Amino acid sequence: MQRTATAKPLHLSLVEAAEAIRKGELTSVALTEASIAAFKTKDAPVNSLISLDAEAALEAAEGLDRLRNAGRLLGPLHGVPLAHKDMYYRAGKTCTAGSKIRANFVPTYTSTAVARLEAAGAVTVASLNMAEFAQNPTGHNAHFGDCHNPWGLDYCPGGSSSGSGAAVAARFTYGALGSDTGGSIRLPAAMCGVSGIKPTQTRVSRYGAMPLSFSADNVGPLARTARDCARLLGAIAGHDPSDPTSAREPVPDYEKALDGKIKGLRVGVPTTYFFDDADSEIVAAIHNAAAVLREAGAEVVDVALPHMAAVSTYGSIVSRSEAGAIHGQWMRERAGDYAVHLSARIYGGLAIPAAYYVEALSRRGPILKAFAAEVFSKVDVFIAPGLRKAVPTLRETDIDRSGPSAIDAFNAVSSNTRPINYLGLPSISVPCGFDRNGLPIGLMIQGRPFAEARVLKVADAYQRLTDWHDRTPPTVA
Amino acid sequence: MPDPLADQIEKQVLTWSAVALPNEAAGAMAAQLASVIEGFEALRGTLVFEDEPSSFEAALQATKE
Repeated sequence: MQRTATAKPLHLSLVEAAEAIRKGELTSVALTEASIAAFKTKDAPVNSLISLDAEAALEAAEGLDRLRNAGRLLGPLHGVPLAHKDMYYRAGKTCTAGSKIRANFVPTYTSTAVARLEAAGAVTVASLNMAEFAQNPTGHNAHFGDCHNPWGLDYCPGGSSSGSGAAVAARFTYGALGSDTGGSIRLPAAMCGVSGIKPTQTRVSRYGAMPLSFSADNVGPLARTARDCARLLGAIAGHDPSDPTSAREPVPDYEKALDGKIKGLRVGVPTTYFFDDADSEIVAAIHNAAAVLREAGAEVVDVALPHMAAVSTYGSIVSRSEAGAIHGQWMRERAGDYAVHLSARIYGGLAIPAAYYVEALSRRGPILKAFAAEVFSKVDVFIAPGLRKAVPTLRETDIDRSGPSAIDAFNAVSSNTRPINYLGLPSISVPCGFDRNGLPIGLMIQGRPFAEARVLKVADAYQRLTDWHDRTPPTVA
Repeated sequence: MPDPLADQIEKQVLTWSAVALPNEAAGAMAAQLASVIEGFEALRGTLVFEDEPSSFEAALQATKE
């Protein structure tokens, strides 16, 4: 759906907003003011915000408008206001990581991802709520208050990039950086009904992003559409000398790949793991999505995914072990400053034997090779639900208030996203329906390493034929 | 009833990492590591890869299009 620059500019997609600025139909100042006003007047029930940077944002927007009026555009995001998960360092700005422990941390340098977005013309308006230290899949936060799902305030917005999903869904911002170690981009995207892509491991620099897991952390965007995500990913992807682990793989023009043509493309529907014990309405939504792709010309086939027991077992310990190492000192000195569910989670990581961790890491490459050889010889992408169950409430997954009885519901949230992190594959979540409670259902699409363009292409083709991504939550006026 | 694995983990983490059990939920989550142990047991001897050892980064490059 192509919208024009109307009285509700925040209802434009990111790409539409950028285009309106480029053509002179809207100014960066107008859009930045609208975003700031939305956060100030509408965020209270959602609680997606940690801090606004209104003065600096408006100053930046004014400068970008002057540049545009002089006929110069910085890049494809010129003038577009964004807001990011509060774990991306910006020199001189407080970066809490959603925690009490780092509540007053002020970094001296700026993360590469934010720097690249701003170099492409984006304006940084706000820092967003998140799971404490990016370590829960639900959106609970004991220090800044739980983030709430704009589609139903009693429900989880997904985590750990909870504010990113909620703020994009609520039309407070056009796009947001999230991070994904076990599903933290895709879960809020799925549960809040927006689009979010976890790139291939190493695709985007992690310099200046708070670490959770050296092996599984990923930087990526959430936005309204796959095309929006393509634009944001294009700005941040690529090797960064400041992050030696970032890949030297060339970055293609992701938007150029979005031509809607998926005729003959092979789409796999897993016969193993991802639908185990799934709600029937979730299964139906994914099969309906597959039918849409088939109508668009894709060849939809069943595919058995190999080694899923190993992927699941090994994948379950890597990030926990690494988080134990990262947080060990604070666990010794300040355990009481963590939320209950977080210190509980980190504690378990300290108990995992090093031999298990090393085995899990050493098997990662061989398992990826075997998985890719088996799966991607048969299909180009495979699809799966982001969650097997309907979106849970904040209450039923609240370990801090309910105690250990909530652990199973809490852990179940990330059962479909976490294995993809172990495999390192690119994976996008786009909305594909609603559950019985009126909460969104997410369709995950996975491809080969560095096949972000293909994954985005399929997602975009799906969104050309559906309007789930255009629906607005009832809390949005 | 005390969980033997949870008790063992409590001693292990205190000994090796000097971290005390922070709360009841931590004990419950630690006890759930039993399923991880079962998972590792189930995998023993089932995976044979000719090209081990292999770096993950190399595998990403080897499996791209």
